[in-house]
Amino acid sequence: MPDSVLTVTGLRKFFTVTRGFPRARTVTVRALDGISFHVRDGEAFGLVGESGCGKSTAGRAALRLVEPDAGEIVFKGENVVTASGARLRELRRKLQIIFQDPYASLNPRRRIGKALIEPMRVHGIADAAECEARAHALLAEVGLPENAMVRYPHEFSGGQRQRIGIARSLTLEPELLVADEPVSALDVSIQAQILLLLQRLQERRRLAFIFISHDLGVVRYFCQRMAVMYLGRIVETGPIPAIFKEPLHPYTRMLRDASPVPDPQVKVLTLRIEGEVPSAVNPPPGCHFHTRCPRVMPVCREVYPEWRQMDDERGVACHLHTR
Amino acid sequence: MSAAGPPRGANHAPSGGVGVPSSAGEPILAVENLVTAFRTGGGWHPAVRDVSFAVQHNETLAIVGESGCGKSVTALSIMGLVPPANGRVAGGHIRFAGRDLAALGEEEMRKIRGDRISMIFQEPMTSLNPVLTIGFQVAEALQYHRDMGRREAAAAALELLDQVKIPSARQRFADYPHQFSGGMRQRVMIAMALACRPELLLADEPTTALDVTIQAEVLALLAELKAAYGMAMVFITHNLGVVASIADRVAAMYAGEIVEIAPVNELFARPTHPYTELLLRSIPRVDRDTVSLAAIAGQVPAIGAMPSGCRFAPRCPLREPVCTERDPPLVPLRDAPDHQVRCWLRAPPGGGGHA
Repeated sequence: MPDSVLTVTGLRKFFTVTRGFPRARTVTVRALDGISFHVRDGEAFGLVGESGCGKSTAGRAALRLVEPDAGEIVFKGENVVTASGARLRELRRKLQIIFQDPYASLNPRRRIGKALIEPMRVHGIADAAECEARAHALLAEVGLPENAMVRYPHEFSGGQRQRIGIARSLTLEPELLVADEPVSALDVSIQAQILLLLQRLQERRRLAFIFISHDLGVVRYFCQRMAVMYLGRIVETGPIPAIFKEPLHPYTRMLRDASPVPDPQVKVLTLRIEGEVPSAVNPPPGCHFHTRCPRVMPVCREVYPEWRQMDDERGVACHLHTR
Repeated sequence: MSAAGPPRGANHAPSGGVGVPSSAGEPILAVENLVTAFRTGGGWHPAVRDVSFAVQHNETLAIVGESGCGKSVTALSIMGLVPPANGRVAGGHIRFAGRDLAALGEEEMRKIRGDRISMIFQEPMTSLNPVLTIGFQVAEALQYHRDMGRREAAAAALELLDQVKIPSARQRFADYPHQFSGGMRQRVMIAMALACRPELLLADEPTTALDVTIQAEVLALLAELKAAYGMAMVFITHNLGVVASIADRVAAMYAGEIVEIAPVNELFARPTHPYTELLLRSIPRVDRDTVSLAAIAGQVPAIGAMPSGCRFAPRCPLREPVCTERDPPLVPLRDAPDHQVRCWLRAPPGGGGHA
């Protein structure tokens, strides 16, 4: 893709987990089973799906916070997978991440000022005075008071902590941010504050985003394109307006129609109870979704549907759309 | 195993219009001027202040609000489960089927709890005992409250597990909680709560930890069981989308007080308290493009630092001097007596209700 800043091709990550009592068993979790997507310059790209679909692993693997088993990641023409040493450090500066729970990623015994300045020192971007000035500017940019510099993480509310997390991800002036469920732990009114802040930053700094969320409303609001994941694979990609208007994959449709809408006149999809939802440990044969699919056909139980690119923008992996 | 049902259009909850019991008749639950206080920093501070509402048989009242607004404390007060070490019901009445629960002793409360009033929680794993089989845990309430023998209770428990649609319940009867997924555990907890056919079910964020497709299943199940048993339900949630799909009436809470209460269609069509209105406009919607998202500046005040006057005033864009001087009362709108609002500007006492 010519205009893309990040291109991910065939990314794979399997985890080996040993669990069980009294006899432990070793199982393979196919967290990422060969996914491909690209993010364009200044674009917010949504990765959506339910718990255990691999969306967080995808975000982390794209930054090599978990080492992928296979696949290619190219950021602005540079291979992220093979980079090492100074090259990797330089790439890490441009690729940053915001976590769901910033409290867990802040050292409780360290003042906010230090948490903001440290990355700049590590990367040697500026001298002490300059770092301090930049930290102050960042706090102002994310809407925190001056005196936050000398305070500790526990002194802040959840929304303020997320602002700190955002400020810290911006210290190195990144070009792409992975936002992993950045508003999921927040109350509705605070969620709106943070979304507006991220939007402002995106416009001002022309940031690209990989925006990971289970909330389709938030993704519809914040992103321009998205990919839907199910059990380690992408089942559909496309521009937000088109996907929400006419989802191609039955899973995308189910997610959309099961999402609650704050309007009693709109009735949410009624889902019949089924068995246990399969997990990435034991994905069903054929199309992974066939056990829950309302439009299942015999072929779906046998063969995983091939990826089909419908046009420049939209693609889907579903037997309903193989010609 | 296939999920089915026509998308949008299938109604799984009687909301508004049909199915709403008439306001005539004795309510099963009437909370009057409830005050529940907690001890923090050396003093007692009310977490719930002057909360009043009633719930009829076969009615679902949703209590909606952000964290720290007192919705869970309200439910725990009804159940008599406010932790005695640092909390207490400091005032008001909780009338259940004519008796004041706030005045009952622990012994009597135990007879009611799990029998006539049940509660389900957000995280089933912390409410289920990990070392007991789910069959045993569902049967336990029947043995305790209904004096059933072990065999009889087990048979009844199996029937309940079938009712909450645990697949192959007979085979899974002797399984332990960790062998179930989150959605299945929530169903086990619903089976436990409904074992004695309670007249009132308190549901505290029962679907918040679940994926949206599983949430839709559990909400449908609750609506179906409620209709079958005719029980009353108090459904606590922060999710206005869930409220819209399950509630008959809605109470919006802020900083320990009910700021607005109305039938569900009325509330969503005409949110009148500035907080409710802003809350509705701050949700990015999945069914249409959200052009502008409203954010409410600031945050919920801490329990020990409540502002004087209207508690929402510091964050309210409409604030006027009167708002910070005196507490606004909860008053009905002139043209809709069942729609009550606590706001000096939008619902001034003595008429002039906002239209």
